[in-house]
Amino acid sequence: MSTSNDGPKKGPKIEMYKLVNNLKRRMGNQFEKQEGEGFLDPAAIAEADKLIVSLCQTSSETMGALYDQLNVEWGRMRQLESSVERDAAAQKIFTAAHEIKDIGEMCGYELAAHFAESLRDFIMTTKLNIKAQVIIIQAHMDALQITIKQDIKVDAGPKADELKRMVKLAIDKYG
Amino acid sequence: MALSFNHPCPSIMAVFEKKPQPYDLSNFTIMVVEDSLYMQSLIASMLKAFGVGDIIACENGKEAIEILTVLQATKKSRHLTTVDIVLTDWLMPNGSGQDLLRWIRAHDKDTIRFLPVIVVSGYTTAFVTSTARDLGAHETLAKPVSGTSLASRICSVIDAPRSFIRAPDYFGPDRRRQDLPYRGMERRMIPADEIKVVKNVHVE
Repeated sequence: MSTSNDGPKKGPKIEMYKLVNNLKRRMGNQFEKQEGEGFLDPAAIAEADKLIVSLCQTSSETMGALYDQLNVEWGRMRQLESSVERDAAAQKIFTAAHEIKDIGEMCGYELAAHFAESLRDFIMTTKLNIKAQVIIIQAHMDALQITIKQDIKVDAGPKADELKRMVKLAIDKYG
Repeated sequence: MALSFNHPCPSIMAVFEKKPQPYDLSNFTIMVVEDSLYMQSLIASMLKAFGVGDIIACENGKEAIEILTVLQATKKSRHLTTVDIVLTDWLMPNGSGQDLLRWIRAHDKDTIRFLPVIVVSGYTTAFVTSTARDLGAHETLAKPVSGTSLASRICSVIDAPRSFIRAPDYFGPDRRRQDLPYRGMERRMIPADEIKVVKNVHVE
């Protein structure tokens, strides 16, 4: 018998899907029935870590090349007045700075990573007027250049403190 | 004198003991979505070192979506593979990790919406971690990556696939990783008849 007065039947509020472990199935019978935590070959993990070390051997040159790209793009961006074109240039600077930060963090260039991260975050700041942005970004660019060219790694010490102070002054005054 | 077999030779026992074997990833396809070519190359090389069979590298979320769409559409071709795990950067121009994750979880095909996603991010803020989790990421991995940290996230995804939950405001892996007894007052007020459990979901 119809129970039309009951209104539309409500479905479940929560659905829970219990999945078959396809990833273990893909590895074959040996693993399909295996309970608990598995592991990757420690030799393979050591090999992966060696790759990081090997890539880091050329990281200084890579960061230098990225800085040069950054500098060219920044020089171009400074001449631009249209916000659309500036945004496109800022996006390129953002990407290069982000990449320097990643490489710096991974390869022990803490100070370069610090300035690159700060630059990355400031380049997309649209609330600043153009003059303020130019001064703050230029301070970052100068600090980054010195850090990379002089191969300063650690985020401490008199040189690092001096560079950080220079950038902070620009941010405090114009940020 | 009778021979005793109660204490067999330990070296013979070792032959019969099941020694746990490391995971074999040679049949896996992992998609790496990373805009930095340097990091993309590094992560791909690390995965190769782990023995991953196929690696698909994409520069941004948009490209990843295009490739996943093509693979899904042509899944029956034996020349094309399906993706088993997605490793994605968070912050990318032309389609962020966030966009990609949203697209994956909203997809109508099981092979895509149930995909394990590991977010690899240089932003290690609690905000990014919780946003990634609430959009349905399985794991987050903070940069800089190491062999051990990458391996642990991959193993975690393989070890125990978490149930997927569809709630009014969420679709993704169960955010509770453990079902521990709770001594306080039960605050989850959803009656049992409003929870539908679908068991043994095969995602082929």
